[in-house]
Amino acid sequence: MTAAVEPSRILSVEGLSARYGHVEALHPVDLHVEAGELVAVLGPNGAGKSTLMRALMGLVPTQGSVAFHGHAVPRRNPAKAAAMGLVLVPEGRGIFAPMTVAENLELGAYLLNDKQEFARRHDRVMTLFPRLKERLAQTAGSLSGGEQQMLAVGRALMSDPKLLLLDEPSLGLAPRVIEEILQTLGELNRAGLPIILVEQKAPLVLTLARRAYIMSVGSIAAEIDPRQVKSHDELAHFYLG
Amino acid sequence: MLDLVAQSILSGIGVGCIYGLIGIGFCVIYNASGIVNFAQGAFVMMGGMVTYTAFARYGLPLPLAAALAIVLVAFAGVVLERLVVRPLWNRGSTMFVMILATLAAQIVIERLALLAAGDQPRTLPVFTDRPPLRILGLAVNFQFLWIVACSLLVIVLLALFFSSTKTGKAMRACSINRDAAALQGIPVSRMLALAFALSAALGAFAGILITPTQYTAFNVGVPFAISGFIAAIVGGFGRPLGAFTGGILLGVAQALAIVFLGSAFKNVAALSILLLFLFVRPTGLLGPAK
Ligand SMILES: Nc1ncnc2c1ncn2[C@@H]1O[C@H](COP(=O)(O)OP(=O)(O)OP(=O)(O)O)[C@@H](O)[C@H]1O
Ligand SMILES: [Mg+2]
Repeated sequence: MTAAVEPSRILSVEGLSARYGHVEALHPVDLHVEAGELVAVLGPNGAGKSTLMRALMGLVPTQGSVAFHGHAVPRRNPAKAAAMGLVLVPEGRGIFAPMTVAENLELGAYLLNDKQEFARRHDRVMTLFPRLKERLAQTAGSLSGGEQQMLAVGRALMSDPKLLLLDEPSLGLAPRVIEEILQTLGELNRAGLPIILVEQKAPLVLTLARRAYIMSVGSIAAEIDPRQVKSHDELAHFYLG
Repeated sequence: MLDLVAQSILSGIGVGCIYGLIGIGFCVIYNASGIVNFAQGAFVMMGGMVTYTAFARYGLPLPLAAALAIVLVAFAGVVLERLVVRPLWNRGSTMFVMILATLAAQIVIERLALLAAGDQPRTLPVFTDRPPLRILGLAVNFQFLWIVACSLLVIVLLALFFSSTKTGKAMRACSINRDAAALQGIPVSRMLALAFALSAALGAFAGILITPTQYTAFNVGVPFAISGFIAAIVGGFGRPLGAFTGGILLGVAQALAIVFLGSAFKNVAALSILLLFLFVRPTGLLGPAK
C-alpha cells in the first residue's frame, strides 16, 4: 500500500452550540471535514441537523469556534461566511420564488464581478442541470420541486463554493429525482468539492459518504463509517441510542 | 361645473403623484426590512426645507439646491438607519419597537427643524415661471407638468434599478428571503441602509416637487406621511406601482371631496378610502406583495 497523503483539515469546529431564545437547540459539538471529503450528517426529526448547518453559517446566535482553512468563520455574518467559500443550500431550498431562474443563478454569483468567469460557471451549471436551461426565463416558483432543488444547488455552485453544505436536498422529492440529484452531488465531490450532506433517510447517503455524524437530541451522538454499517438495524441503534 | 371637476381631478393627480412617491418610499423600506418607517414624512419636509435654505439663504441655483437636498436627505436616511434602526435590529427587537422608534425619530427631526429653521412656512419658486397652458379648456400649469413628468421618470428609473441592476436584484432578494440572500453573500444590512437612503431621497424629491405649489414648514411631514401611508395601503403594501396608483386615487378623491363637500372633507375622504380598502380589499389594488 502506498503511503496515504496526509489529509488536510479544511473545516474544524469546536464546542459549537446554538440557541433559539433561551432554548439551546444545539449542544456543544466538535466536528471536522477533510479536503475532498463528503461527510454525512444523519439523524431523526428535530435532532438539530438544520440548526447545526445554520450555526456553521452564523445564521443563528452561537458559541464556540468554526475555522475554515485556518481562518475563523465570523459569527452572525452569513454573507461573510459565504464570501469565504462556505455555501449552504438551506432546508426548504430558499430559492427566490418570484424571481426568474436566471436571476436566481445570477444572485448565486453575487460576489463575482468577472463576466468570463460568470459565463464559465453558468455553463457548468447548465451542463450539470440541463433542465434548468430551458427554464431560465421562468420564475423559480413555477418550477417542479426537483427542478427547484436543482436550481438551489446550481445557485450555490455559481458562487464556486469551497465547501458545500446541503440540508436535506431530498426533502419532498420523488425517488428518481433524489437519485439524480445525489448522483450529481457524488460527481461534484469526486471532482474535488468537499460536501456536508444532511439527510434524515440514512440509506440515501451510505454509498456516497465515507464518514457520517449521527445526531440525536441536539448533539453528535456518534461518528461512523457508513460502509461498515451492515444493516438498518445497526443504524437504527444509533438513532435510538 | 364640469370644468371645475376636471380641473380639480387634474390637481388631484398632481398631488397624488407626490403621495405616490412618498408611498413608494414606504414600500422600499418595508420590502427591505418589514419596517413601516413613520419618519418618511420627515424626509419630505427636509427635502423642501434644505432646498429652500440652499436656494434662498445661500443663493445656490434651484437645480443645484434641489440636488444637494436630495443627497443630504439620503444621507440623513442612512444616519437614521444606523443610529435608530440598526441598534434595535442587532438586539433582535420586535418590529413594533422599531416602528415606534421611527415615529420617535420623526418627532425629533421635526423639533430639530423647528429649532434650526423656525416656524415660518417657506416656499420655492415654480420651476418654470410661465402662464399655464390651456389644454381643452383646462389650465395646466407648468409645476403640474414637472410633478407628473418627474414622478413618471422616477418610477421608470426605479423599475429599471430593481429589474436590471445587480444591487436592485439583491435588494429584491433580501425582501423575498433575507437569510437566503445572506447565504448568497449579499450584505443584507448594507442593503437595508441603501433602502433607507433610496426611500429618503424619494421623500425629499417629493417634498421639492410639491413645495412650489404649497409651502413647507417644520410640521408638514406628518400629513404627507399619512397620505403616503394610505397610498401604500391602497396599493397593496410593498408594491411600488400600487402605491403610486393608490397615491393618485387618493389625490383625486381628496380633490373631488373638496369640490363637492368642501375643504373640511379632505381628510374625511382620505380616511374613508383607507377604511374602505381595509374592509373591502385589505390586500390593496394589486394584491399582497409576497
Ligand atoms: N426557529 C426556531 N425557534 C425555536 N426552536 C427551533 C427553531 N428551529 C428549530 N427549533 C428547535 O430546535 C430543534 C432542532 O431543530 P432542527 O430543525 O435543527 O432539527 P432537524 O434535525 O433539522 O430536523 P428535521 O429533520 O425535521 O429537519 C427542534 O427541537 C426544534 O423544535
Ligand atoms: Mg432540518
